[in-house]
Amino acid sequence: MAAVINAANNGIVGKLERELPDLAFHQQLTVDEIPTLWVSRNDLLALLKYLKSSCHFEMLFDLAGVDERQRVNRPGSAADFTVVYHLMSFSANTDIRIKVALGQADCQLPSCISVWPNANWYEREAWDMFGIVFTGHPNLCRILLPPTWQGHALRKDHPARATEMEPFKMTDERQDREQEALRFKPEDWGMKRKNEHTEFMFLNLGPNHPSVHGVFRIVLQLDGEVVVDAVPEIGYHHRGAEKMAERQTWHTYIPYTDRIDYLGGVMNNLPYVMAIEKMAGIEVPDRAKVIRIMLAELFRISSHLVFYGTYAQDVGQMSPVFYMFADRERLFGIIEAITGGRMHPAWFRIGGVAQDLPNGWEKLVSDFVERMPARMDHFDKMAMQNSILKQRSVGIGTYTTAEALDWGITGPGLRATGMDFDLRRDRPYGGYDQFDFEVPVFQNGDIYDRARVRIEEIRQSLRIIKQCMENMPAGPYKSDHRLTTPPPKERTMHDIETLIHHFLNVSWGPVIPAGECSVTIEATKGANMYYLTSDGGTMSYRTRIRTPSFPHLQQIPLISRGLLIADLIAIIASIDFVMADVDR
Amino acid sequence: MTESPLWPLVVYFFAVIALVLIILGLSSLVGPRSTMQRATIEPFESGVVGIGSSQIPISVEFYLIAMFFVIFDLETVYIFAWAVAFFELGLFGYLAISVFILILVVALIYEWKSGALDWGVKKRVGLRE
Amino acid sequence: MPDSVFIYVIIFGTLFGSIGGAAVLVWFERRLLGFWQDRLGPNRVGPFGIGLAFADIIKLFTKEDWVPPFADKFVFIFAPTAIMMAMLLGFAVVPYGPGLYVVDLNIALLFFLGMTSLAVYSVLLGGLASRNKFALLGGLRSAAQMVSYEVFMGLSLMGVVMLSGSFSLVDIVNAQQDVWFVFSQFLGFLVFTIAGIAESHRLPFDLPEAEHELVAGFHTEYSGMKFGMFMVGEYLGVILISSMIATIFFGGWLGPDFLPPIFWFGLKSFLLVCFFVLLRAAIPRPRYDQLMSFGWKIMLPLTLVNLMVTGAVVLWWGY
Repeated sequence: MAAVINAANNGIVGKLERELPDLAFHQQLTVDEIPTLWVSRNDLLALLKYLKSSCHFEMLFDLAGVDERQRVNRPGSAADFTVVYHLMSFSANTDIRIKVALGQADCQLPSCISVWPNANWYEREAWDMFGIVFTGHPNLCRILLPPTWQGHALRKDHPARATEMEPFKMTDERQDREQEALRFKPEDWGMKRKNEHTEFMFLNLGPNHPSVHGVFRIVLQLDGEVVVDAVPEIGYHHRGAEKMAERQTWHTYIPYTDRIDYLGGVMNNLPYVMAIEKMAGIEVPDRAKVIRIMLAELFRISSHLVFYGTYAQDVGQMSPVFYMFADRERLFGIIEAITGGRMHPAWFRIGGVAQDLPNGWEKLVSDFVERMPARMDHFDKMAMQNSILKQRSVGIGTYTTAEALDWGITGPGLRATGMDFDLRRDRPYGGYDQFDFEVPVFQNGDIYDRARVRIEEIRQSLRIIKQCMENMPAGPYKSDHRLTTPPPKERTMHDIETLIHHFLNVSWGPVIPAGECSVTIEATKGANMYYLTSDGGTMSYRTRIRTPSFPHLQQIPLISRGLLIADLIAIIASIDFVMADVDR
Repeated sequence: MTESPLWPLVVYFFAVIALVLIILGLSSLVGPRSTMQRATIEPFESGVVGIGSSQIPISVEFYLIAMFFVIFDLETVYIFAWAVAFFELGLFGYLAISVFILILVVALIYEWKSGALDWGVKKRVGLRE
Repeated sequence: MPDSVFIYVIIFGTLFGSIGGAAVLVWFERRLLGFWQDRLGPNRVGPFGIGLAFADIIKLFTKEDWVPPFADKFVFIFAPTAIMMAMLLGFAVVPYGPGLYVVDLNIALLFFLGMTSLAVYSVLLGGLASRNKFALLGGLRSAAQMVSYEVFMGLSLMGVVMLSGSFSLVDIVNAQQDVWFVFSQFLGFLVFTIAGIAESHRLPFDLPEAEHELVAGFHTEYSGMKFGMFMVGEYLGVILISSMIATIFFGGWLGPDFLPPIFWFGLKSFLLVCFFVLLRAAIPRPRYDQLMSFGWKIMLPLTLVNLMVTGAVVLWWGY
């Protein structure tokens, strides 16, 4: 597979050399073998347009900044800051990474919203975190941090710990100031308070509202109950996960990843540890691979069950969520028996998993796998076939495949538009190529189909889990590579060498060779990518977490304008996001 | 038709009022006071300060519904009167009310066809340019 | 027992019986929902958790009697009392058994319809007086919804009135000696039940409060006993509508002689209350415009058809 991608890579670089002879670029080699090109700021926009129109890079998959100033193993072309554009092609099934170097004094480059509309939020984030100015952006303001924040948090000179800052105090005056800063000003967003017919009502739906699934705020411009316009506001759940990664060892950061998509559990560990393993050159034993896949699929079911229940509840059906949560509890029983944790087991390790499977795990898993299909049929009768639920969701909140690609939508939301693409099948990672499963695809791109995709995925995940159970390989659950953390215990306490090795890896953490690597997986909510940069230390130099929910929220105004509040609630439910996954 | 004295209704009426007043009075006596905090004096708007007032002109659809209500509910009063005297009025009454209901139905069809019974917009309108 | 004492017993029995019933229903509904939803429901306070009904009352009483400074004070306080009074007054005309009623008005049915319409004001005023955007939307929804369903709620009963020739509920029960009106007026029963749920704004027709859309709708700003009165009003509404359906369509107190009539009345009402709870457990909430269209485009024509057909059939067979 790697060879195939490599060939495609050469293809795109070769094509650029042939067709854009004036373009000056410099290629950087990365561990993940994604072609990575450094270009100058002036060439950027033209190149991006060319890549989208002529090279089938339909999606701006990620856009993020890097502060290179303290990096020892800096690539030759880098300056103070770097902006990384990660583009994805679905028709050619390949990726490309474009990097632009910026000096601290002149930290600006043109906005690419005209090429991909979803660049809007990514550019705001890059400005928020690094102070990189995107000229031509319609409203370049803070997105994750509070509007009153001083400085740009992901710059290396910004404090990373509370102890490095003034003690936090919430005085009355400060509370008033912060609240006032959160007051929505329609004029900033080019909205009018009234038109010739009516005066609009502006309504804060969230951050504290029962059906925004966390602390998500949408400011609605309403005419009666019709949503004239909507402005999603995020950042209320921001915990600085990317910043924390720069102060945690590679090993101790694993539990933080669990809490990114907090319904996905160990699914979040997977791209993170796989990226580290790639950089370290660790080959994971088969047993560990299958255990990982089994647990990841269990968590996919768990997450989709929560989606299913809350989706029914948000269209006003009270009961299904209780049934689904009951099954989720049974599932957590298995997770608990295997890992000892429930929602956030943090159970994957660099080079394998934390422990071997306990005795009798097959019984637990097979009971669950046997039981679920009948339950799913039951849910289907209860919820999906209900005519009121259908009326509320069929044909509502639709977008086309082209729109989905423009807005960076991945995962079930993309497959509901008829796009037959699943990273597990089309770019198999971590051993998925050994499994037999189907990728459910539906055509209408509406609320109902987004739900149907996920429901079918539960059934497919059950199939995968069953295959894991029936074909669990024997062998070690951890690699015997020297960077495996913690190292296999049996071989630690024999002599001073192994003892010291164990001690260093656990207390200081493993030293991962310098390099850059990204791993993208089909997570519960869409494509989740960890883009790790190692500077050859015990900690990550930069951890970029590309989460699926972030762009999914951005397109809410597109599909909800002109509909009613009740439709908007159903749309929010159908997107299936958690705010921790958006804000990180 | 049976008749029963009306005074129990009067007594009941006053008993209901007394009960409601007692509940209101008791709750204001028993409940704690002045737990007033800074945010308690603001209307709830999802935890952040609101934009503009809630006292705004109301969408015209609501007035339409009110008009329909007046039209239909007042006219149903005639049907009430006819129904209770149905046997006395016989076939002639039936024919008369049929004409009346027919007119109501025509009004309903007119409203239906003119789109006055369709609320909201069913299609997304996409992004503002 | 002298007559007047007997009537006082009925008066206060009705008053405290209905309030007590509403309080217990809050607990009972949660138990029943728990049963249907694969979970336990409240089971800690007293046997089967029934103490929760009292605990709730005590809690509501001892909460702060809070009127927001931005609200329209008088209307804000009046609104919850209105729904409670209207619903309680509605019980005055319900016959629990032969001779067992506060009053037998010859316009009992109209009185009942009038009282349920008054409840609209309560919700609307509560929503407007709160000066809160969610409450305003909830209030407007409720006004539009109730006003629309009001129209054919009355009309759906006219078939029954034609057959019994009276607005008196006692007469209506007596007219069902041979056959319950639920059989001869099935369409009327259907329409009335749906309109009744809409009038008591319970799920699936709880759009005025629609937790997932409007936080708590018209009572977002309410707390303590004033919120409690809205809630009691809602549950009184459920009991009132159930006992009305039992009376009008299921023969009220009529039943085999081995048990007293009031038992049959109670049993029928109880089963209907359970049906209301089941609906809440099972059905999603339609969208606001779908609900309105359903009312005007399906229910209203159905009611008119029911009237014409009933009239024609009775004229044909009656003479």
